[in-house]
Amino acid sequence: MTPEKSDTNPAAGPNTGMTRRSFLRGSAVIASGLAALAASLSPLRELDDAPSAEQFLQKYYKELTPAEMARVLKRIEDEVERQYGLRPHVRDLKPLDGVEFVYALNLTRCIGCRRCVYACVAENNQSGTPEVQYIRVLRLPDGSLDLEKAEHFYHPESVPEKGYFYMPVQCQQCKKPPCVKVCPVHATWQETDGITVIDYDWCIGCRYCEAACPYWARRFNFAKPSVPKDRLNLNMAYLGNRPRRRGVMEKCHFCIQRTRVGRYPACVEVCPVGARKFGNVLDPASEVAYILRTKRVFIQLKEELGTSPRFFYYFDV
Amino acid sequence: MLFILTLVFLMLTVSFSRRNWMEPRPLKAITPVDPALVKPTTFRTSYVQLIRMQADLSDFDCYGCHETKKPPTLRFDSSNNLVIPKEHSDIVMAHGQHGRNNNCFNCHDEQNLLLLQTRDGRQLKLENCPPLCGSCHGPTYRDWEAGAHGRTGGYWEKKAGEMTRQICVDCHNPHSPRIPSLAPLPPPHPLHGADRAAAAGQD
Repeated sequence: MTPEKSDTNPAAGPNTGMTRRSFLRGSAVIASGLAALAASLSPLRELDDAPSAEQFLQKYYKELTPAEMARVLKRIEDEVERQYGLRPHVRDLKPLDGVEFVYALNLTRCIGCRRCVYACVAENNQSGTPEVQYIRVLRLPDGSLDLEKAEHFYHPESVPEKGYFYMPVQCQQCKKPPCVKVCPVHATWQETDGITVIDYDWCIGCRYCEAACPYWARRFNFAKPSVPKDRLNLNMAYLGNRPRRRGVMEKCHFCIQRTRVGRYPACVEVCPVGARKFGNVLDPASEVAYILRTKRVFIQLKEELGTSPRFFYYFDV
Repeated sequence: MLFILTLVFLMLTVSFSRRNWMEPRPLKAITPVDPALVKPTTFRTSYVQLIRMQADLSDFDCYGCHETKKPPTLRFDSSNNLVIPKEHSDIVMAHGQHGRNNNCFNCHDEQNLLLLQTRDGRQLKLENCPPLCGSCHGPTYRDWEAGAHGRTGGYWEKKAGEMTRQICVDCHNPHSPRIPSLAPLPPPHPLHGADRAAAAGQD
């Protein structure tokens, strides 16, 4: 046999190096390797919160035409109905003309009762387990604004406690938001009424914004959010409180589903001592304009960072 | 060599199918807060709210017991504190510091108990107390009129709907106006650092 002949005839066993034994060994390795791969991928079968094809192929929020938006809203309504058995009312609310929202919080009045935290959870369909809350109430010793001394796990019998004051912190809706700057996919942006919003369908969950925010205002859905069926708020907005998926960021959006139709946010309405004030700062007759004009508005939190929050803390007297 | 590789793959298969590695630690369920606690209700139910609710107002019918045109007399003890008659024992007088505001008729009208009176001689209905309160608490009254004191709800946009405001007595008891202390709602349950949360919850 010439070497050329052996090349054209691969079936000639001894020359290829493939014996019956090595073939069986190789097949065993490949078969067991595939079995291991299949077993490792098996949890994918139970994946129930994977994005649908329609959601996966959805265009960027700002590029959606009204007709496409209507389809998207219908898809969201269908998905919520499938998951919760309740038909929500999802709207895409645009910013109002001549409106810039500003929040003012009276540190003299706040008693640290955390009613705002849970009113927000109820309004915005935030996850119960694991817990997602937009508002964190800090307890600070009197006479200091050193955030290093702040405690947010305080739990006395009754509040207010002697020697402390309370400072609730939530998204400050900055004029120069660092979170928007770092988003690699432009899934978060500032709207003309001052609200920084997130498109939950565009977010890739990289958490850069969470790291960039100096106020720790952004929350990440590490697990599938769980909202009890009977607590679902059916008044929803696309950029607001519609149910989120696992793996996306969320944060305070000044209750877009309320404020863009003229209502007050849930935290303002629930505050039992009236420490929270909200309104259109461009309207000189609004209460926030009055507060900024006449009160000792002493801080924007971490003012030195130059984020220029639209959330002001002030004192009476 | 290939035999060992096969063995490793088989062990991995068993391990994966038993979910040794990827089963997430189950989260402890967090009890949700009672929704009744986050309703925008005021600290107390005032006379104005009772009228709005069309509730029983017989407690406010002063002349069911008092005689007309006969101003009740006030009694004071040796240290000049007002003695509250047993018919009014539900009233706790704690308005003003050092017991200086211890005269019923600083606010109530002795000639007509259904009305309030201001120091400059105006008579006001019970449901219209703010000008009376404001005659002492000027800056607060000014803030309240501008919307900066007290609770707000409803609509910030006047074109869209009505703003709900509260008057002084909806939140403050006129006889002891200090806001009562409240039990705080539960602290946050973090995914990490639960030990610190528990430690802070104890003190």
